[in-house]
Formats: sequence, C-alpha cells, structure tokens
Amino acid sequence: MSDIEYVRPTDTSSAVTLVAEDPDAAFLAGGTTELDLALKDRVIRPSRFVDIGRLPLRGVTREGDRLRVAALTTMEELAADPTVRSRLPFVREALLLGASTQLRNMATIGGNLLQRTRCRYFRDPAVHACNKREPGSGCAAIEGVARMHAILGAGPSCIALHASDLCVPLVAMDAEVELLDADGTRRVPLTEFYRTPGDRPDVENVLRHGELVTHVVVPLLPAGTRSGYIKVRDRQSYEFATTSAAAAVQVEDGTITAARIGLGGVGTVPWRAWEAERVLVGAPANERTYRAAAEAAIRDPFTVPGTAFKVELAKRTIVRILRTVTA
Amino acid sequence: MTATLNKENIIGQPIDRVDARRKVSGAAPYPSDFDLPGQVYAALISSTVAAGRITRIDRSAAEAAPGVLAVLTYDNAPTLADPPTNALGSTMRRPLKDDRILHYGQHIGIVVATTRAQALAAAELVEVDYAVEEPVLDMDDPRARVEDNPFGMETSRGDVVAALADADVTVDSTYTIGAETNSPLGLFTTVASWQGGRLVVHDTTQAPSFMRKALAVMFGVPEESVRLLIPFLGGGFGAGLRLWSHTVLTALAARVLDRPVKLVLSRPQMFTSVGHRAASRQRIRLGARSDGRLVAIDHDALAANGIGDNLPSPIVAGTPSAYACDNLATHERRVHLNIPYTGFMRAPGAIEEHFALESALDELAGRLGVDPVDVRLRNYADVHPESGKPWSSKALRECIEVGAEQFGWSSRDPAPRSTHDGDWLVGQGMAAATFEFYALDCDVRLTIDRGGNAILRSAATDIGTGTYTITAQLVAELLGIEVERVRVEIGDTDQPQAPQSGGSGLAGALAAAVQDAAGALTERLARLDGRPGESFASLLDRHGLDELSANGHSDLAAAAEDSDVAPAGAFGAAYVEVGVDEDLGLVRVRRLVSVIDGGRVFNRKTARSQAIGGAVMGIGAALLEEAAYDPNDGRVANGTFGDYLVPVNADVPDIDVTFVGEPDTFNPTGSKGLGEIGIVCIPPAIGNAVFHATGRRVRDLPITLDKML
Repeated sequence: MSDIEYVRPTDTSSAVTLVAEDPDAAFLAGGTTELDLALKDRVIRPSRFVDIGRLPLRGVTREGDRLRVAALTTMEELAADPTVRSRLPFVREALLLGASTQLRNMATIGGNLLQRTRCRYFRDPAVHACNKREPGSGCAAIEGVARMHAILGAGPSCIALHASDLCVPLVAMDAEVELLDADGTRRVPLTEFYRTPGDRPDVENVLRHGELVTHVVVPLLPAGTRSGYIKVRDRQSYEFATTSAAAAVQVEDGTITAARIGLGGVGTVPWRAWEAERVLVGAPANERTYRAAAEAAIRDPFTVPGTAFKVELAKRTIVRILRTVTA
Repeated sequence: MTATLNKENIIGQPIDRVDARRKVSGAAPYPSDFDLPGQVYAALISSTVAAGRITRIDRSAAEAAPGVLAVLTYDNAPTLADPPTNALGSTMRRPLKDDRILHYGQHIGIVVATTRAQALAAAELVEVDYAVEEPVLDMDDPRARVEDNPFGMETSRGDVVAALADADVTVDSTYTIGAETNSPLGLFTTVASWQGGRLVVHDTTQAPSFMRKALAVMFGVPEESVRLLIPFLGGGFGAGLRLWSHTVLTALAARVLDRPVKLVLSRPQMFTSVGHRAASRQRIRLGARSDGRLVAIDHDALAANGIGDNLPSPIVAGTPSAYACDNLATHERRVHLNIPYTGFMRAPGAIEEHFALESALDELAGRLGVDPVDVRLRNYADVHPESGKPWSSKALRECIEVGAEQFGWSSRDPAPRSTHDGDWLVGQGMAAATFEFYALDCDVRLTIDRGGNAILRSAATDIGTGTYTITAQLVAELLGIEVERVRVEIGDTDQPQAPQSGGSGLAGALAAAVQDAAGALTERLARLDGRPGESFASLLDRHGLDELSANGHSDLAAAAEDSDVAPAGAFGAAYVEVGVDEDLGLVRVRRLVSVIDGGRVFNRKTARSQAIGGAVMGIGAALLEEAAYDPNDGRVANGTFGDYLVPVNADVPDIDVTFVGEPDTFNPTGSKGLGEIGIVCIPPAIGNAVFHATGRRVRDLPITLDKML
C-alpha cells in the first residue's frame, strides 16, 4: 500500500518548496478532484500532498479596472463580490450555474481553473487506452461512450473536456493567472495557460512542477457592456455543461462595436471564440450576424458519433446568448 | 374472532413516521453502520473485461501486502453449492464458480485485510490475465442467444391479425428504453460473521427470508443457522431483491477466516453488482374503429439479460388486463448479453409496458382525432379482460377524470405546437396505468405484554417506504390502543418469514397477516373475561400473564386462485405539462398531477411520499437516466453520480397527488400496493406532452436534449 505524506503549511513559499523538492509531490488543491483521483479513482499517485488550504490566499481586491482574486477565494465569495455583481455579471452567472451551493461554498477559484477532466476513461485506471494518463496508450473515449466530450481543440489523441463554467467568461475577459514558484512570480494570460492536447494530452497547462496559482486577475467590463452566460444541460442543476457560452458585447446604433465570446462544454480547454468576435465587431446586431458568428466559432470541429450533435447545439447556444444580451 | 378495519381512527391518518426521529438523528442503523468486534475488511477484485476466461491469477503480491489476511479467487476458494431458485424465480450463477468471465465488473475474487485501505490497496495487486473474447453487447448481435417466450406468459385472445387488417385506424410503433440503474443512496453493504456455526449477516436486502434460504443452501447449513438482519435499508428500488455475489463472497470470507468481515460497495461497483433495469425494445400494433374503440393490441417485447442469467421479469404480462379489447396477442423475447446482471427495478416490466402502450394510445388518439382521455375511457375494462371476472376494486375512471379536472385538461388545445411561452413550446400529456395484483404469503407474531404494549414481529423489511409506521398504525387500530404503545420489530429472519418488499406486495400481505394475528390475539384476550373498559395491562396482570401472543398468516395469492373476483392492483393516471426549448433541445417538466387508486390508504403522508418519489423517479426515467455501456469492452461508462444523472430538486415541479377509490374487496384490509404505481404513468405522460408541445414523437428513453435537436 502506498502511503501519501500529508503536509499543511501556512505560508506560501513553504508550500512551493514542499512540492518543488519532491518530483512526486502535488498541491492538494481543487480538493474534490485531487482526492478523488488519488484515493478513489487511483489515477494519480502522489508521494506527498501539500494542502494549500491554510495559505493566506483568500479575498478579492479591486486594482483600478481589474479585479485581483486570490486563489483560495471560494466560488460563492466571488459570486457575492459587489464588483463582480456590477462589472462582471456574466462571471457571477457562470459561478452560480456551476456545481451546487454546498460545493461552491468549499470550491476555490484556483481549484476551478485547475479542475481535471471528467472523462470517465481518464478516471478509470482499468481502461488502458488513455493518452492523458499514459502518453501513447491511445484513447478509449474516441471509440467509446463520448457525449460529455470536446469537439474543439480535440483530436485523435484526446477528446477530454475542460468542464469549467467559470473559465468560460474568464477567457473571454482576457483574465490572467499569477503563478509563483521558487524563481518568483509570473503572469500568464488564461488563453495561453491551457494547452490543447496535441500529441501530449498529459500536459494540460504551462504550470511547472512546484508552481502555484496564487491569483487570477480579471479586467472589468467597460460600463455599458451587456454580458451573459448560458448553460445548456439535461439536468437543471448540478450537471456540467453540454454546451455553454459567455458573451459580452457593446452595441452602438445597431452596430456591434466590441465583442468577447467564450465557449464551454465543447473545448479541451476553456475556449475563446476569436473568429466569432471578428465576425461580430462592426456587423449589425441581428440574427444573421449571430448565426455567422456561430458558424465561425465552430469551424473544423473534431467529432465522434456521440459528440456530433454538439456542433449544431453549440452554434445555437451562441446565437441564443447573443440574442439574449443584445435584447 | 376476526379483527376488521371498519374504523379509520388511526389507520389512514397522516402521522409522522414512527422511525423519523431515529432517522434524522442518525440513530437508525443502516447496514454500513454495523461494526462487530474483531471485524476485518473486504475489497472485491472485479474483471476488467466483459467476456473470456481467466488464464492466470497471481495472488502472491496481494497476499504479501501489509495487513492482508486472505485472497480468495476461483482456484483457491472453498466450493459452495449452487443457490436455489427463490420464490421470484430468480437464481444466480455461483460466484467464483470457474474461470469464465461473463460481464465487465464481475467479481472474480475478494481480498480481506485488517483495514479497509489495506484491502483496497491489495486488491489492486492481484494480477489477472485473460483470454479475452469479443463481448456480445448489442441486442441485434447475431451471436446473441435469444429465447422466445422465456416466461411462458405470452397470451392471445381473438384474432389479432384479422382485427388489425379490418381496423379503421392502426398504429405500428417501436419504443426503446436504455438501461437504468436503481441507484439507491445507500451503498450496498454486507457484514458477515459466523457465530458458533451460525451465519449472521447484516445485508442490504429487500428479501431477507429469501436470502436466508439461499445462503443456507450455498453454505450447506440448516436455514435456522442463518440470520439476516436489516432494520434499515438505505434505499433499494428493487436492487435488494436478488442474491448478489458480494454478499456470498463476504460470508465466505468470514467463514474462511472465522472473523467478522465487512464489505461496502463503491458507487461504481453499485452499477455492476446489484442489477439494473434491462434495456428493451418493444413493438406495439394497435387497431381501432373510427369511434375510438380498440379492436386489436399486438405487443412484442425484447429485453436484455445477462449471459447464463434467467431473471424472470416479463414486460408484456400486464398488457392483456389493461384495456377491453377482443383481439390481443403478446410476445416476449429475451436476449442474453455480456452485461452486468439485470434486476428488478421499481415497477419492473410495468414501466416498459406502459411507456409503449400508453404512448401508442396517444399516437392512436392523434390519428383518430379523439381526445387521449376519451380513448382510455372508451376502452375501459369494466371487468377483467382475461378472466371476465369483476375487479375486486377499480377506480381508474376516477383517476382519469379527477386528474383531468385537477389539471385543467379540458382547456387544452389538442393541436400540437399550439402553445408558446417565450422560447418554450408548452405541451400537455397524460397516461393511465393498471398495475398487476401481486402478493406472496406472510407470517407475523403479535404480542401484548403486561405493560399494555403490543409488539409486532416479522422478517419483513422497511425500505424507507413506511412499513414500520403503517404496521404500528394497523396494530394500534386493530387492538384499540395508541400507536405509541406498538413496537414493530422487523428486518430479522429470526422472526416469522415474510415476502420481499417488492412488487408492491408487502403492505397488503403484511397487513392481512397482522389483521389475522390481531383477530387471534383478540380472541385469546376475550377468553380472559375482561371487565368492561379494562385495559390489556390490567387484564394480563389479573391473570398473572407476562404476555400473550398470537401468530398471523396471509396467503393472498392462494386465495386469489379461487376468488370470484379478479384481484386488482393499484390504478393511476398522470397529467404532465412540459416546456420544450426546441432550439436547445431542453425538456422541462412544469406541472404534474398524479391520481392513484391504491384501495385503502394506510397513511396518507407516507403514501403521498411514495407517489411523489415515484413521480420523481419517473421524471428520471423519462428524461435523464441511462447506464451507458462501452460498445467495445462493456464497462459502464457513466458509473458515478456525476455522470449517471438522476433528477435533482430543480428538475421536479410541484407534484399534485390525489388518492381516489374505495377499500379493495379482495384484500381483507382493503389495501392495494402503492410502491410502484406512482412511477409507471410518468414516462409516457411526459413523452406524450413532448409530442403535444413539438409535434415530435420521441420513442426512445431517456428523452435527452440531443434527441430533440
């Protein structure tokens, strides 16, 4: 039986050192996911868990036109923040449509960013073919039951979905993550933080071993911007998105002057729909434009029989959120 | 002397559950709450292929692991006898019988260690090699063995072929339903110990008397040498109606080690170890005259079953008694696949039958241009359509009419796609249900003690439906004492045998036995020459008696055979309003009215809870639940509560429940079972409402959003 060493430091630099010094150590962060994967699913086998729950990384501060969110701030705390309510309403919507109240009271922003995929083929070590677990072993999901899987950023190596709701408006906002390791601090745009699977589905982001997400910095929406988040799913609560979309647009005299679009439920990473934004800006705010934007957003999807329906559904989801925020 | 329920002072009253305080305070012991001195812990070794043979199994690393006490596999475990067929006609393949693998997740061994973590870790160290065969997973796979008429229950009357040919209007539709799992919250648990040659098992089961018999045979001991204890279950929905291999393996490990062994299944193991509702495909052909009268019903059902399994779970059994129709034929086939064993899931067969028949009737109503309500009423079976005997009770007409009234059906525009609400199309649908009578024999022992308290003992179980409560109410009513003076001791096979809590049959059988016992006890008490108004306590005290007891027995199934009436099960009707967001494929239930004829209702609160629970589960069956098997290796690809979706509160609208009807004339207590009637109307009513909303008929459950796009 492999024992896992458990440590709970109270200062951030100790936490970083405790992971950095042991190549098999891991931050115990995004609690449910890490514990499930280590203890129940037995997918990861860390030698040491460094619990970051006692680190002084909690709270939201306003820095001019940006919000700096410490990684251990809970989802409910961020949703209740007055600046989020007034200046990032679609972030609040995405938060409140995620998980359940009980989970949101425990789940942290950093943990949400780093949640692992729900792909059941990844989470069951009895499945041999999983490139994310064992690079080069194949992908059982592609030939298997794949409904809650990705169509964008996906490929023959991996179709595992990044299931976060919160990240969808955050990538749309050009949020940045602050990372800390022994060498110091760096900032990475969220849109560059995640890596699509390519030929290394096991590498999911740019984090180095021992590097800790300490903050998320989110620009605020300009006054007068309309935003919204839509989440499409079979169950009305407590289910990951089948498709979702975050949109923030400004309209002047019937013409779209600014647009930010993020997509969920479709990407191996939280998806920024740059092409859709290019279609929208400068175009008339009407149904035809929205449909054109949706077509541009879901270009060249990688589908399997179980996910093929998401192509049209994702487009309709984009049209619906654009219609809603411009209404 | 007989005791009869001519008053309803206590019975019927919506009193709180007598075990409510124990449950909410955590004092009610569920199976996983039991821990015995010296207990050790088990973990299962499960196959990771769906078909083939074990070519090598290496226990050495596991046996050498810390804390490990035993590793039992087919090649080193003591041989047990094959289990007998129980009263449900169900048996099982003996676990660890040989090297064959019949489904993914099959238990191929058990590891016991000092701690649970040690057992789980060691289970991973057992190395297994397989000669893998390509599993048979598809019902249409030509390699699959298909049995015709496996239950001998196919029926026919009249000439259905000619009647279909002559009909003014016909419907010919095929309906499919995905596999569903029972998914009770409580993880199934076995705590087994051998105490002086006697096997004592705390086990999550709905059928302790069956389990006792089966375990006695398998372990070669007299029945009296096996005791099953299950005071509280943690939910079952039918999952506890079969003997499962984890129970046998835990008892076996306890015998090998001569120590108490505890096993708690994991949630993923629940998806492969304790049964499920089999996937099915049904074809219904209806013929009707232009006035809406049915002239032909032809019902063909095909359902999946495990390899080498023989679960007797017919789908078409209830079709012949549903409606008055002179020409009818039913056909049943069973196809054997490399899937985990199927089981009895709430309203087994009846859910499937009603989804097909009540959807087809809705399709027929549309073709006829007749209101769906009127189609049911015009074909109302005033007498039992098979036997011609009068029903022992039947208020289906009231169910349908009261439901229509409460729902406001008369204001419904019959045209599909006629109602909009923003992005939503709104539709309304209904369905009716005829549930089959079912009962097995039941024994109880009723005692009155010197303190004037009554004790009712039986091996029956309370699966959370309120058996403790209604039994206490019955005893109190029949003996004329307060509910607080009644103690109910059930869930213990050292008490008189009882049938399973299943098939909506326990309450009726148990109540009849309680009434029999109360009659006998009252007679014995009468012989003591009580003074007017004298209490039982005083009476017993005066005669120097510590207590006085009487046994009670019921055998309603035997009585049914020579009855002049057709014993009825419950009847029901449901009316549902849905909203469909056609663009996004979303289906949401907005309103639900459920009207039930359950005969005499023993407790209006627990009965209402049963109906609500059934409706919620029906919403799950209609819109959410499907256990997905990997098409290549047969594993359950969504075996967690994060992936297999059951309804949450947000999916459930206010549910309006009404009970109608009179006490049943066949059951001596007037009751008809309520456990399953609340679920059967819901899937067809929702499907019919979706059609009314959109004009699209989805004949494949669950109706997930991808099917609506």
